[in-house]
Amino acid sequence: MSDISLISGANHGKASARGVRIWDLPVRLFHWGLVAGVSTALVTGFLAEEWYLYIHNWAGYTIAFLISFRLIWGFFGSKYARFASFIFTPKETIGHIKEFARGNSAHYSGHNPAGALMVFALLAVLLLLTVSGVIILGGQENLGALAGFVSFEIGAFLVEIHELLAWSLMLLIIAHVAGMIIESRISGENLARAMVTGNKKDASNQPITMPVSTIVLRAVVIAAIVGGAGFALYQKYSAVPASGLVKLVPNETYNSECGDCHYAYHPSLLPRSSWQGIMANLENHFGEDASLDAETVKSLSAWLNENSSEIWDTEAANNLRKVSPKAPLSISETPYWQSRHSEINKNVFKQTNIGTKGNCIACHSDAKTGRFDDAAISIPPPKPNT
Amino acid sequence: MKKTLLVISTAVMVALAAPAFAGAKQDAVMDHYKKLAKGSFSAERGKAFYSAVHTGGKPATPSCTSCHTKSPTGTGQTRANKPIAPMALSKSPDRFGDLKKVEKWFGRNCRSVLGRECTVQEKGDFLAFMYSQ
Repeated sequence: MSDISLISGANHGKASARGVRIWDLPVRLFHWGLVAGVSTALVTGFLAEEWYLYIHNWAGYTIAFLISFRLIWGFFGSKYARFASFIFTPKETIGHIKEFARGNSAHYSGHNPAGALMVFALLAVLLLLTVSGVIILGGQENLGALAGFVSFEIGAFLVEIHELLAWSLMLLIIAHVAGMIIESRISGENLARAMVTGNKKDASNQPITMPVSTIVLRAVVIAAIVGGAGFALYQKYSAVPASGLVKLVPNETYNSECGDCHYAYHPSLLPRSSWQGIMANLENHFGEDASLDAETVKSLSAWLNENSSEIWDTEAANNLRKVSPKAPLSISETPYWQSRHSEINKNVFKQTNIGTKGNCIACHSDAKTGRFDDAAISIPPPKPNT
Repeated sequence: MKKTLLVISTAVMVALAAPAFAGAKQDAVMDHYKKLAKGSFSAERGKAFYSAVHTGGKPATPSCTSCHTKSPTGTGQTRANKPIAPMALSKSPDRFGDLKKVEKWFGRNCRSVLGRECTVQEKGDFLAFMYSQ
């Protein structure tokens, strides 16, 4: 019986110990799913290492799915889930907030005006966060549905806005929880519990009347449409080749002549001037004699010239174009490289399975492609000396 | 009859066994140096050259063993942490088959270790040693 009450759409106004049904199951699942998705996104966005980006992305996709569902459910859901039930005039809203500040609160079965304002604010901020997130992912990382359409510059610009929105979201969440606690005190109704059980104890509340079967059927259909459309759009647009990547013709000479001694640096990692500087002084190549015959030098120089960072629109190419004036030929001396690796202990680079800062591929498994995805980073654990 | 053939062929192989692991390409590279050399090559001298600590080159690399390990059958390592396949032909049968590549590495490494170009004699002795290993 108690199991049924959880998913029961209506209990026809009978005041009982269980209270009256206010929030339908889809609203509750949406709410707590959103709590999980947003928590994950905030933790991975603000605190976690770069390589948790893919979890952040999945949290974002989950949030996008949930809010898309909720926007539709706001028209087809049960009574208190509908936007129409919690659209108030500005006057009503201001009046309610003023009363609320004095410690009074008029009774509303569903969302009160302040709560309604919070719902719309949260939906708007989350919508902007997910949209900006997908644009950043496409522009900066050349990943996701917009990889083929967004430049690095736009992605980099939106990072600031995405972060600002995330801070706003945290403020809203604090206000939302505080408002919920205060309102619970004033009304004597545990609102957090009500969002779990779906029921409010106060028998004066008007219960929802939509039958459970209707709620479930509608929710399943809407979820399938939203999920299916989202998946189809993702599939369609993520198949477009990333706009920042150039189709690189493999150069066997480069791979063997340079790759015999070190990871064959992707040509997008240095500008033309640096590559030409390197090729002009192979006799003293970072302290090594790496001299080559003139013919090989000429062909490799031409290939590097054609494929240098100038023609790539990846995160690595864009950032590594600014070389160090003191050591313009060194990737690991660029300001960007230094700042991105500043938190890594120096001894990590000396590990036998890494050895040197120049061994990009030891930690960046996709170094050969020039992508340097956050998700492709994995610092190998030190090998015990044998 | 079969046994006789086996004995004869073994005897022939032993007789020709100077560079035991060398294929046709390696023989051609060796022939190139033999034509330039005045005398013959000695694996023993090559071994001493390989293990010797030289002066005149870069302080970090005074010997072949600095990067290639003490034994030519060992896997070495570049400064940039790439493994270097063993020098010994028994371990790396494709080595020393391309004269251009052999000359490239003699050029770089002799300058780094000895601070000068290697002589034909040194190169030949070195190859004789590697072919025998």
